[in-house]
Amino acid sequence: MTRIGLEIHCQLTKLESKLFCSCKAEYRNLAPNSNICPVCAGLPGSLPILNKKAVEKAAMISLALGCTIPQKIGFFRKNYFYPDLPKNFQITQYNAYGPTSIGSDGKITIQGKEINIRRIQLEEDPGRLVYEGKSMLTLVDYNRAGTPLVEIVTEPDFETPKQVRVFLNVLADLVENIGVSDPYLEGAMRVDGNISEGDGNRVEIKNVGSFRDIEKALHFEMTRQQSLLERGIPVVAETRHWDDARRITVSSRSKEEEQDYRYIPEADIPIVLIRNESIETIKKQMPESIVAKRERYVKKYGIPAQVADVLSSDRFYSDLFEKSHNEKNAKEVANIITTDLLSYADTREKKLELKITAQHISSLADSIMDNKLTRNSGKQALQEMVKTGKSLLDVMASLDLGHVSDVNSIEKIIDEVFKEEEKAVTEARRNPDTINYLVGKVMRKTKGKADPATTLDILRKKLSS
Amino acid sequence: MNLGISATEFVSQAKVGTISVEEFVAKTLDRIKLVEEKVHAFITVDNQNALAKAKEIDKKIKSKDKVGICFGMPVSIKDNLCTAGMKTTCASKMLENFIAPYDATVVSRLKSEDAIIIGKVNLDEFAMGSTTEFSYFGPSRNPWNVDYVPGGSSGGSGVSVSALECLASLGSDTGGSVRSPASFCSVVGLKPTYGLVSRYGLVSYANSIEQVGPMARTVEDVAFLLNIISGYDSHDDTTIKNDSVDYTKDISLGISGKKIGIITQMIGQGVDQEVVSATNRAISKLQELGAECIPISLDAVEHSVAAYYTIASAEASSNLSRYDNLRYGFDFGTEGYEFKAFISKARSNFGPEVTRRMLLGAFVLSAGYYGKYYLKAQKVRAMIKAQLDEAFKKVDFLISPTMPILPFKVGEKIDDPLKLYLTDINTITANLSGIPAISIPFEISSSGLPIGIQLFANSFEEKKLLQAAYALHKTTHLPEVPL
Amino acid sequence: MVERKEIEHLGDLVKVDLKEPEKYIKQVEQIIKYFDRLDTVEFNSDDTLRNEVDSENLRDDKHEPYDISLIDHLKKDQDNFIRAPKMV
Ligand SMILES: [Zn+2]
Repeated sequence: MTRIGLEIHCQLTKLESKLFCSCKAEYRNLAPNSNICPVCAGLPGSLPILNKKAVEKAAMISLALGCTIPQKIGFFRKNYFYPDLPKNFQITQYNAYGPTSIGSDGKITIQGKEINIRRIQLEEDPGRLVYEGKSMLTLVDYNRAGTPLVEIVTEPDFETPKQVRVFLNVLADLVENIGVSDPYLEGAMRVDGNISEGDGNRVEIKNVGSFRDIEKALHFEMTRQQSLLERGIPVVAETRHWDDARRITVSSRSKEEEQDYRYIPEADIPIVLIRNESIETIKKQMPESIVAKRERYVKKYGIPAQVADVLSSDRFYSDLFEKSHNEKNAKEVANIITTDLLSYADTREKKLELKITAQHISSLADSIMDNKLTRNSGKQALQEMVKTGKSLLDVMASLDLGHVSDVNSIEKIIDEVFKEEEKAVTEARRNPDTINYLVGKVMRKTKGKADPATTLDILRKKLSS
Repeated sequence: MNLGISATEFVSQAKVGTISVEEFVAKTLDRIKLVEEKVHAFITVDNQNALAKAKEIDKKIKSKDKVGICFGMPVSIKDNLCTAGMKTTCASKMLENFIAPYDATVVSRLKSEDAIIIGKVNLDEFAMGSTTEFSYFGPSRNPWNVDYVPGGSSGGSGVSVSALECLASLGSDTGGSVRSPASFCSVVGLKPTYGLVSRYGLVSYANSIEQVGPMARTVEDVAFLLNIISGYDSHDDTTIKNDSVDYTKDISLGISGKKIGIITQMIGQGVDQEVVSATNRAISKLQELGAECIPISLDAVEHSVAAYYTIASAEASSNLSRYDNLRYGFDFGTEGYEFKAFISKARSNFGPEVTRRMLLGAFVLSAGYYGKYYLKAQKVRAMIKAQLDEAFKKVDFLISPTMPILPFKVGEKIDDPLKLYLTDINTITANLSGIPAISIPFEISSSGLPIGIQLFANSFEEKKLLQAAYALHKTTHLPEVPL
Repeated sequence: MVERKEIEHLGDLVKVDLKEPEKYIKQVEQIIKYFDRLDTVEFNSDDTLRNEVDSENLRDDKHEPYDISLIDHLKKDQDNFIRAPKMV
């Protein structure tokens, strides 16, 4: 049996300032070392000042993953020398001397599979290293140093790399939904894994660039271990790095001796008391969970389970849904978003480019329901609104999308079709199941504007007369 | 012009113009020039800025502009407190030319009250030591006899106040580093309650126990400085939000009716006989003033030296990790080196005492030993505090000699670290428990060396403590420094 | 007993080239032996002494850029990077 555990680093990208100083939490696209102060650059005499909201956001993740939050949390220093650590220690949390991490012992059920969360800890991100050409000199940029980060450690409960992928997708949706992180920002979510086969040794997998590659890395490693064991060769307990170019894992070359991190309590940060009232306040601030949201969509509006699933797990689209629907048009709005809109914009960048607003969606749904627009024309209108941001009325006028539902006009068109399609008419008289072919001809002539129900009605009458 | 006046006296005269600040500062700079060769208190002296600032303040006084309450008082600052634009070396090769871009909170508070930072004073490297012999720039010397150590680690602070090179000084006290030089140099030195004074800009050595402390020639001066430097600071999460207290008000209230506990563990075996006699005379004086003195036993004190050095070494080994010469520090090209080799070479420039403590710290924190040493040491802290809480239910203050021995000769104990560590036995209790303690100059020994008396009070009772210290200090008649 | 190998290991942990490791062996051993007395202390409480703060009193999450360009006060290259030696 394969056992896989994960360590997920998730930046709290929704914060304004760093974990221990007032520099910007968003470090991307800034000039090197322009977002630093004595605290995050580790100057002598500087002291860490803990960000209240970072504690709250980390507590939200803990709650969302069913963890216990202790009454007192504490910080530790993890001591090791590395140029991306300006103090040569990282301020983090540690449970070896009592549970003082922000979260412990949680669990989350995904597709019937229970995944236990061992620990959630709040910590600072190191700086960023750039390697310079042939000399291999290391250039250091501390803009990222001190960015608030949550590390989520799971028990080795996964049995396949695919379960890992499903879990990570759910986790990404979850942190986005509760408003603590944008998991699709570059470097916002990073995953290390550990994997073992049967009673074999555990191998750590690090350096997986994107969290989508972790499935591939784990899969490679699983196969490697299985084939070793089949040949009776024991698996070595070690850390292996994912080689992105060659798509394989390789043993870490540096014979990194067993690290001794010499953990020590961080006395510059007092023990933080988290009162029950504070936890209650945090709970109230937490948005509805994805699971609860999905249930509400199904129960309250009768939205099909599959549509509700898609809608609830995407924070962007569920927010759009909440803003654009009412009791009456909810189902239609859900349908427009999940079948049409989603196909235009499935990535973060595309979502940001959308010119469409809740107002657009809402009036589109109403028009379809009021028979002012066919579903087909609706699709065209949506596409135009997404591109231009023009109002529905403007779009309908410019594309000539008005609905044709008066009997006379439709009768005229049907007469034309009957003349052109004699063979099909005869066929339809004999076999009523083929009537759709004629409906399609009418639709093509009207560019999809004819009301399908009226068309069918008149067609039947004419065929049987 | 008498440079030996108190800071309070200076303020009252400068305020009304009977002292010219510029003249006083110029005289002080002359004095520094004269005595530094003998005592070596300063690492940096800021002649030009000090004089310019003095002129500016004189002008403000004359034109009746608003002037800060220090009125140009020349103050020295221990060289492990950051001063913007002036070197902060920590008496280490590692920071030989380091200029902090910012002021420590205590420094900016002094500056905003128009104190003049006349210079930065010597210490044991990174404040690790109790003699000031472990300075990269060479030892400071005791103004009472320059063959002797001035105590430490804030030796430069004690010496500069004692040798009339300034009116007051800020030191830092991790295990007695303010009180030891106060005692050895015959000045007043206070270690405030942990959390009363901001540590922002104090270069960390053992951050869970150290505080910045004022040193001056009178108890009132120390109270005056404490008024300025104490209080909550948004740059230090360990400072406490308390109502502000005027420590100088009612300072002469006396100690009649108060109860004082004599810590038996600090006056018994191993304490110099002359120190014991002086302590007994101090107790008599306090009784004459109406206090009741009873013996108090604090048996946890027996474990305090081991607990203190465990904690201090452990924290030091972590706090000093950041000195790797990449971001700041002396110039040393990175070319041709691999990372570990580079920093190990750079860091071999720490002095022997700092290196020793980092090694000890790595040992007590290394895997498998945390529970045996560091955790136990932390529990000793709680045990000492619990015993002190019990004691303070019975008494208002505790008393002991500040140092169990008289100042000794430069070089005498430098090769026996453990012996040196054991001389901290009376001072470290206040650091481990967080309570305030003050050293009051009390007598001069037959050999002409100062003896200080230490008083303790419970946490955040500095006001009461200063009243008691004031009363005791008033009973003394000490000679002028023979320099 | 502390041996040369152990002192060198400690030196490696704190990243200091010990020029004369022998010098430290005896002193470190003597001091650790003194520390060993901590192991014999009997405690009737597991308390340790730590400052505490209510989570509600922590710093508000507000971005305030540092008032000077700090990198100008540090060792840097022409592109404002800090230079470190090669890692391998
Ligand atoms: Zn910063």
